[in-house]
Amino acid sequence: MNLIDATHAALRLLLSADPELWSIVGVSLSVTLRAMLIAMPLGIGLGYLLATLRFPGRRALIVVVQGLLASPTVVVGLLLYLLLSRQGVFGQLQLLFSQTAMVIGQVLIALPVLIAFSLAAIQGADPRARETAVALGAATPRVAWTMLVEVRFALMAAVCNAFGRVVSEIGCSLMVGGNIAGVTRNMPTAIALETSKGDFAQAIALGIVLLVVALGINSAFAFFQGESRQ
Amino acid sequence: MTLLGVTDIAKSFGERRLLAIDTLTLSAGQSYVLTGENGSGKSTLLRILAGIDAPDSGHGLYGAQRFDWHPYPDWLRREVIYVHQHPYLFHSTVADNIVYGLRARGVDAGRREALLAAAIAWARLDHLLATPPQKLSGGERQRVALARAWVLSPKVLLLDEPTANLDAESRRQTIDLLRGFCAAECTTVVACHDRDVIALPEMQPLHLADGRIRPRPVASD
Ligand SMILES: Nc1ncnc2c1ncn2[C@@H]1O[C@H](COP(=O)(O)OP(=O)(O)O)[C@@H](O)[C@H]1O
Ligand SMILES: [Mg+2]
Repeated sequence: MNLIDATHAALRLLLSADPELWSIVGVSLSVTLRAMLIAMPLGIGLGYLLATLRFPGRRALIVVVQGLLASPTVVVGLLLYLLLSRQGVFGQLQLLFSQTAMVIGQVLIALPVLIAFSLAAIQGADPRARETAVALGAATPRVAWTMLVEVRFALMAAVCNAFGRVVSEIGCSLMVGGNIAGVTRNMPTAIALETSKGDFAQAIALGIVLLVVALGINSAFAFFQGESRQ
Repeated sequence: MTLLGVTDIAKSFGERRLLAIDTLTLSAGQSYVLTGENGSGKSTLLRILAGIDAPDSGHGLYGAQRFDWHPYPDWLRREVIYVHQHPYLFHSTVADNIVYGLRARGVDAGRREALLAAAIAWARLDHLLATPPQKLSGGERQRVALARAWVLSPKVLLLDEPTANLDAESRRQTIDLLRGFCAAECTTVVACHDRDVIALPEMQPLHLADGRIRPRPVASD
């Protein structure tokens, strides 16, 4: 099959409500959304604490988080695999090759992004914002909430960035998910598999969906980043 | 009667000793204008009094209660309000900004609404309610910040150059509001260079030079 034919077939697949294709898209979005729902409060909360609290080892911790930003997802996958495999510390839980394992992996990949970006957002906030909240009598939790609301656009940009990174990552999903059809096969792992099998139509169709998702997320990211600089 | 007094306040930035104040006492209900060269430490002094910055040493007395800055007590924060030279307005609405301190104090919604309406009338903000705070002019921001302080009926109000960089009309309106505060039972300290503020009859002068207050405030008994 040449590229033109494959692309035609791909478009036909996209328009024909092909159940297999859309179930793969569904797995991708469901896993990533669940991972983001867990990672968002954790990452933003930790980022805020890291920006606000002063404790020994804080600088070192920030350096570690920034280092983890560049951690290859296959390495995250490898570590998680070792932990979840039968002989691993969490082997009893029998989570390997499940969506839960993929969610955990994506949470781990999203966390450094969310922590580092929220940290930068809070540190970059106008110091008068905190002073004003304190001067008007806000207690610590209210000050925290006020600060997060003040930098909300920067936080939304962080969320988009993490989402984009996680929805398209393949290394970790492949290793701890196992690319099981109908269960843990998401867009990136399916694209890799179909391509290696020579089924370009399916791969191109999924590629187009993934591209649309990534473009949408990136436009949102650019929008929020613009708003946060106002 | 002395409401707020501080003793032996020292503050340095690096090698430079900015403040070395033996005593500063503010009488209840009195208004003060705090003058001094740029960089003489007026803002720093006000921020210390409000507990936003801490001095290197020193302690204070509020009424009969002693306090210091580690930490600055929460009960005192409820009595003392500091307004920045360029006030910061939260990125919400003018009304949300005005009731922020009331929410923080747990004032119920009914009372909040009543105070909000009164503050809007007091600072003449009704036509600005729909404007995003970030789009307001300097004078309008200053009025929102004053209304935000006014609803809290602070015992001590510390204003940092409220009329600097304002056009003539905004200056006049701000001075009007300022006098409203001074006429109430509020103890007010206004850091400024503005001749019209300095010349207000209710103002008692405080001058900051070489880190000291001089002449000494005429403390009434
Ligand atoms: N956080 C700070 N770090 C270092 N220097 C500061 C800091 N805050 C104020 N200063 C210095 O203290 C001096 C007095 O500042 P300020 O209190 O703003 O004076 P004023 O309000 O009278 O103009 C200035 O020279 C300023 O550079
Ligand atoms: Mg100043």
